[in-house]
Amino acid sequence: MAPGLALSAGESSLNYSRHISYWRRNLKTFLPHHYTGNDSNRMTLAFFIIAALDLLGDLPAALSAEERQGYIDWVYRCQLPEGGFRPWPGTDVGSLRHDGNRLWDPAHVPGTFFALLILIMLGDDLNRVKRREILVWLRTMQRPDGSFGETRGENGRVEGGSDTRFGYMATAIRWILRGNVDGPVDGVPDIDVDKFVACLQQSETYDGGISEAAYHEAHAGFACCAIHSLYFLDRLPIPPRSAQVPDGRLRGVTNLPLTLHWLASRQTLTLEDEDDIDTLGDETDSTATCHDAHSFLKLQSYPSTAGQMSFKGQPTSHFELQWVGLNGRANKVGDTCYGYWACASLKVLDHLDVVDGKPIRRWLLDKTQHIVGGFGKGPGDPPDIFHSYLGLLVLSMFGEPGLKDIDVALCISNRAKQHLESLPWRKDIVEIGA
Amino acid sequence: MAPKFYHDDPVWADIDPLPQDDGGLHPLAAINYTDEYSEAMGYLRAVMANNEFSKRILELTEHVISLNPAHYTVWLYRAKTLFEINAPLRDEIEWLNPTALKHLKNYQIWHHRQTVIEALGSPDGEADFIDSMLEHDSKNYHVWSYRQWLVKRFDLFEGKGELEWTEQMVEQDLRNNSAWNHRWFLVIGGRDGRALDEETFKREMDFAKRLVRKAPQNQSSWNYLRGLARHANSTSALKDFALEFADLSRPDEIHSSHALDLLADILATEEDQKEEARQALDLLATRYDPIRAYYWNYRKGLLEQPGAVA
Repeated sequence: MAPGLALSAGESSLNYSRHISYWRRNLKTFLPHHYTGNDSNRMTLAFFIIAALDLLGDLPAALSAEERQGYIDWVYRCQLPEGGFRPWPGTDVGSLRHDGNRLWDPAHVPGTFFALLILIMLGDDLNRVKRREILVWLRTMQRPDGSFGETRGENGRVEGGSDTRFGYMATAIRWILRGNVDGPVDGVPDIDVDKFVACLQQSETYDGGISEAAYHEAHAGFACCAIHSLYFLDRLPIPPRSAQVPDGRLRGVTNLPLTLHWLASRQTLTLEDEDDIDTLGDETDSTATCHDAHSFLKLQSYPSTAGQMSFKGQPTSHFELQWVGLNGRANKVGDTCYGYWACASLKVLDHLDVVDGKPIRRWLLDKTQHIVGGFGKGPGDPPDIFHSYLGLLVLSMFGEPGLKDIDVALCISNRAKQHLESLPWRKDIVEIGA
Repeated sequence: MAPKFYHDDPVWADIDPLPQDDGGLHPLAAINYTDEYSEAMGYLRAVMANNEFSKRILELTEHVISLNPAHYTVWLYRAKTLFEINAPLRDEIEWLNPTALKHLKNYQIWHHRQTVIEALGSPDGEADFIDSMLEHDSKNYHVWSYRQWLVKRFDLFEGKGELEWTEQMVEQDLRNNSAWNHRWFLVIGGRDGRALDEETFKREMDFAKRLVRKAPQNQSSWNYLRGLARHANSTSALKDFALEFADLSRPDEIHSSHALDLLADILATEEDQKEEARQALDLLATRYDPIRAYYWNYRKGLLEQPGAVA
């Protein structure tokens, strides 16, 4: 089907031409200065821009051969002499760099992850990547508790938050550079996989979610990062009735049915802050205070005087089920990016079937898609690079015609992933390891 | 606030700023920097390259942080400077308090705060600071994570009013899942693997039940209740409680989808109750929680598989 043509009037649709012009603008012109707070995430922004154009099928048309090479060279300029990438040129002091000051210009886990993905999408062969050095460095980014950090600081201290984002990116870098083979590659020992999996197990929460670290609150973003890393490591639960024999390996998501329950519970009809009526001090359940109530026609009869008062005069009609959003935590408002974090988790767990994609798609297209292209966080919000790409990923996951199909965990098109898998140096590693 | 510049400031006259080299004609995600930011970053690179640690570094890093708080090494550089020049750490906390309010979603600032509080060796004043943050956003993930760090670092699990404070936070907003989670952390996480004693278990069950009765459609209190019961292997003992809100013999009088969900789970484990479990799941899929119809239907499928219950 030609993108955007065959849909009847009134039907929600992805406005391809607007999205393409939104992303081309991001590629070809300066980003507005309010992105300055994300200056140190430029490699991430760059990844979203290239990846979105790839998903929309516009990459070949958007780039001349010279531009493509120019972008590849820009990414390589962010590679450090000792291996690994900085995520922006902002810490580069050029010829003044020496061992005594490189502490302020370190290799960066997200910077390295997104740099590799951009090179892959642009068709580079990664031959200029200091692959062995990255694998050596990656081991030093793992903390004694099994988690990964962002950069290495003074005295080898692992800096950055202790959360599953860095573990996700570290295991993805590992998968990109050495597949999921056991033991050393090129003389470099593997990361401590068991310790990392144990750390993720401890981050599982009492409600079936996964958090950034042990005992922290369940959060769809951190859950997704954990699930994706288990996928890269082949440490997700063995599906029931599968032919795979139990191998005694430590595996994450230790209570799959409970985690599916938690992920399905991220669907919500609270789509914007205005729906999120101030619940402070309000102990009642009404269609207004109850975030996931739909048809509680009898709620007022539950013996709570305050409840009856608060419900008085309010309509008891069904909430509209046409649009279903996703939130990141219990009792929070829907947000485009959680559409990705929750649905991608389900997809990787092979259970996208526990949610209905149609009202989620309508939510994105009718409520958070922006008239100038891209997606905002919620209804009426201006589009930004982050939400705009994650919105596209969700639509692709549900089979939106005209969008490329994706590898949900790597966040790139299967076309790009296949390019990586076809590279001779990688085939050598993966095939010898198999 | 008027932009701040360095080129005409005598304090900085000895520094040659290092302009950013963006590398060739095709930079990616290039940002339309303000002159103020470009210049401040130029001075920052120059002093970082020199490993300068001095009082003026605190001013410069403060400035860069105000424009780009996600700059990961500017925070590390600032922390190192604080220790190298023996700066008063209480002043640092005084500065961090309003700065945290300006950057509610920033990660780095919490890491920095931990470094400073660790060096100070005292949690004094931190509870007030956290209260002021939670007034702006009572579910701020970073704030709650930081609170856990404080509790662990200074062993505030018991006898320091932490449980009482958490109770107050939950009572204030029954739907604040972060507050519920913090309670779990205190009650279960602080036990170092010791089994939950009967008295504490009962206290927590009563607490959760009381708040479920206040708002039967609140997923946070149900999750806590069910988590506790699962922890103690006593989910089936919650059957009567579930029936208070969802009695299958009165399908028009359901007060909570979460009670139906629990009931379905319990019935699925009982002899000859599969049909009832199916009925509960049907009610959820068709009447009381239709946005999750696909999920409830998946659960119905599980009834055919022995042992597959959450």
